[in-house]
Amino acid sequence: MMAAFLLELRTEEIPANALPGARRQLADGVSRALAEAGFGDATVQVMSTSLRLMVRIDGLPERQADRTERLMGPPARIAFADDGSPTKAADGFAKKAGVAVDALETESTDKGDYLVATVVHEGRATSEILSEVVPVVLKAMRFPKMMRWGLGEHYFVRPVHGLVALFDGAVVPMEVFGITAGRETVGHRVHGPEPFEVTSDADYVGALTERGVLIDPAERRRILVARSAELAAEVGCRVHPDDALVAEHVELVEYPGLLRGSIDGEYLELPREVVITTLRYHQKCLILEHEDGSLAPHFLTVIDRRDDPEGLVRQGNEWVIGARLADARFFFDEDRKHGMEALAPDLSRLEFHRVLGSVAAKADRVGKLAMTLNDRLGLDLDAEVVRRAAHLVKTDLLTNMVVEFPELQGVMGGHYLRLEGADEGLWTAARDHYRPSGFDGEIPTSDLGRLLGVADRLDTLAGLFGVGEIPSGSKDPLGLRRAAQAVVKIVAGADWKLDMDGAVQAAVAGLDGVVEAPSAETVATLRDFMADRVRRYLTDQVGVGGDAADAVMAAGWGDLSELRARAEALDAVRTTPQMRALGLAFKRVKNITEGAPEPIVDPGLFETDEERELHAASEVFAARLGECVGARRFDDAFASMGELAEVLDRFFVEVLVMCEDAKVRDNRVALLTELRREFLTLADLSRLQVDGGNK
Amino acid sequence: MPRNRADVVSFATSVRLYPGAGGTVDLQTLILNLQHFWAEHGCVIQQPLDLEVGAGTMHPETFLRVLGPEPYRVAYVQPSRRPADARYGENPFRLGRHLQLQVILKPSPDDVQNLYLQSLAALGIDPEVHDIRFEEDNWESPTLGAWGVGWQVLLDGMEVTQFTYFQQAGGIELAPISAELTYGLERIAMFLGRKDSIYDIEWGGGVPYGQIRLEDERESSTYGFEVADVEMLRRHLEDWESEAKRCLDHDPPLVIPALEATLKTSHLFNLMDARGAVSVTERVGLIGRVRKNAIRAAKAYVARREELGHPLGNALGEME
Repeated sequence: MMAAFLLELRTEEIPANALPGARRQLADGVSRALAEAGFGDATVQVMSTSLRLMVRIDGLPERQADRTERLMGPPARIAFADDGSPTKAADGFAKKAGVAVDALETESTDKGDYLVATVVHEGRATSEILSEVVPVVLKAMRFPKMMRWGLGEHYFVRPVHGLVALFDGAVVPMEVFGITAGRETVGHRVHGPEPFEVTSDADYVGALTERGVLIDPAERRRILVARSAELAAEVGCRVHPDDALVAEHVELVEYPGLLRGSIDGEYLELPREVVITTLRYHQKCLILEHEDGSLAPHFLTVIDRRDDPEGLVRQGNEWVIGARLADARFFFDEDRKHGMEALAPDLSRLEFHRVLGSVAAKADRVGKLAMTLNDRLGLDLDAEVVRRAAHLVKTDLLTNMVVEFPELQGVMGGHYLRLEGADEGLWTAARDHYRPSGFDGEIPTSDLGRLLGVADRLDTLAGLFGVGEIPSGSKDPLGLRRAAQAVVKIVAGADWKLDMDGAVQAAVAGLDGVVEAPSAETVATLRDFMADRVRRYLTDQVGVGGDAADAVMAAGWGDLSELRARAEALDAVRTTPQMRALGLAFKRVKNITEGAPEPIVDPGLFETDEERELHAASEVFAARLGECVGARRFDDAFASMGELAEVLDRFFVEVLVMCEDAKVRDNRVALLTELRREFLTLADLSRLQVDGGNK
Repeated sequence: MPRNRADVVSFATSVRLYPGAGGTVDLQTLILNLQHFWAEHGCVIQQPLDLEVGAGTMHPETFLRVLGPEPYRVAYVQPSRRPADARYGENPFRLGRHLQLQVILKPSPDDVQNLYLQSLAALGIDPEVHDIRFEEDNWESPTLGAWGVGWQVLLDGMEVTQFTYFQQAGGIELAPISAELTYGLERIAMFLGRKDSIYDIEWGGGVPYGQIRLEDERESSTYGFEVADVEMLRRHLEDWESEAKRCLDHDPPLVIPALEATLKTSHLFNLMDARGAVSVTERVGLIGRVRKNAIRAAKAYVARREELGHPLGNALGEME
């Protein structure tokens, strides 16, 4: 007869973001404890609402099975006296094993006869085991933020108020967090607050449902999704998809109620992002939109109850949202009173960094750096336009709206400049220059936006590296890795032939006199940092293997679009037998030519056909290489390189490079050095993993 | 204590509510009813601290009383000054000085959430017909070396109360734990009256809030953003900081004077901040200086109460 165990832990409101982890921990902890107790076949189900955690275990026997163990004892020959009576050895063994002497048996083994005792461990009652292990699992749960309450003796995510623990309908005695287990619980705070008794695991879910509590998160989600679509359709709209918000609401309630409210249409004249930020991020509302994607004058809000009996909940929410939008409009109108141009000088009062100065000082540096990059890239932006734009794209930091909603930086600058009649290049640059965030998102659309985006971040990186604020391990509070990744993505995405080394140097030079650190050191550290980001770009964004990324980067990574093409070409062939063989051979080439001087090959000194063959092949390859690299046909380049594999192999088999004749030897080294130089314009094949490497 | 819905309602109706003028809930009726409710639940009804502070938490009746083992229940209104939040009286939702009603329940009772819901019922907010939510919102005050875990309470989407279980104050781990309820009075009045501007809520006796406060908000904004003499503020901050230290170095330490001097430095800092005179890095340093004295005052208070033999009793002792 199998039975089920039901546990309910009732608490005050558990934070939404802690609940998925709590369910996982409970499921893992309980499953582990069951496996240890020999109940590995039982199934564990964990569910929750904002106010309770539930565990249900099905397929539990009433007791553990008895376990039989055979213990080996002393050899039979010393266990019995001549008269057949047991010796001390037999007595001792029987006592240790907990069996009677006459229950001992003899077993033949290849070492002779031995005494054997059969010990039966009686299985314990399941209820008894549960009462021991469940409190241990509950007390071991950890949350991002934990607390004490009352007299401070207990430690959990929120105060605990109730514990139901039933096995096969009977209370399993236990105490956790000062609460004694019983069968009493309560329903929904509004729909069923009266305490009631849970009679069995079978009617628990039903009893809660009757009292307004849906314990299953999946069911709450289904209801939210279906009901929100209905409410949207009623007014001819659709719900803007937002899985993250729905997931949060699922955790925030015991019952997933939904209601639709109206927004005064005049607020929809505010920029879309302002309305969404107000509704989505500050009131957790689902956004309704028309077929064409424009915002509708409605919102959906999730309430923790079935109904709105007097219409007060809808009325209240409409008032709050109206007030919040009115607040946003107040900021918007205030901001519109001052032109961005007039506001910009105040950037000198906004500190960017104690040592690195005000945002105005930073904008000055960014403008100059952007022009340096402009010239190097051969873009044709006007110096005065760039200088002014460097300030204007940051000016929204001074606006009421961005002070209130920092996440709207850039977006607001774009709107305000557009409304003031700025030209499209400028206002899109303001809007876009914070994009992408790391590798996520699109790059700015205009050259100005891209240039300012790159210059702004390079200045930030150079400045913060200069004052020693360099990310380490998981610590990167200023998001410098993201900043560097964005630089890489923009440069690669814009297909700019930008020498990254030179760009880093220019950024560091721009901080001369501002930071004290020697610029050479900063340049070196920042260059390595950028190289890491470039490598990450190749592996994570382009999708090439780590070894191929290392191999191509060792041959230079200044030109990102060229690098990318090279990486993709190598990645396509890196696991072919030919390339692996070449990788091994190239390792030898590198070892032999380590520290070799500038090669001068004298064909007159060749002694073998293999040398001549390799020399000829190398010259053919050098010529092909020139053509392919010029045309960026890296597939062909690596194909030609592959053709050298056999020639090189024959060379190494037949030719002893380190021969006695110094002249012949040096000539052979020179031949390989030349080959090495040619190879290294594409990739350092010795970095390829012999086993092919993992992506 | 009432445990369920039926009890909540019967309890609420048993509390004598002060009727607002014309049946509306005005600001002073809110205050009177909340004070009355909490007095009935064993709170000392205290008066506001007669110093400029940013929050009711800074009142010694909270900051000090939550320390040590002595049980305590207190409620009071605290005008809370936040010069940087001032808006010249032009923003209908924001004030440089607002009113908090602060309740401390130490140790936090098991039914504190239920008590809180009853207090709303005492304001005429029937939980049966509203959506009342407790959403995670933890609290931290770097200046006081204090933090707590809790929620913001949302009433039909409107944040009406900050609900916090104090975990640490003055850098000291707390036991017993206090529950702190901070009601935002203007917001609640605005919400209940469905007013579009704070200045339109009724204070009491038919007098609008704007008549009493608007000019004050205008002048204080001008002062805080434009006029306050930064050098003077800086000087006074130094003075009150060293005065706090002198009180703490005194034998025995003068706890309340030291805390009061520290609270003055905190307010001077807020004024300087509103004037834009504090850079990001300086901010960290100044907050650290205020915190240092707040922590010393807290420690001195704990020692002093111990010397006095915990006159208000020992909640932890009672459990044995």
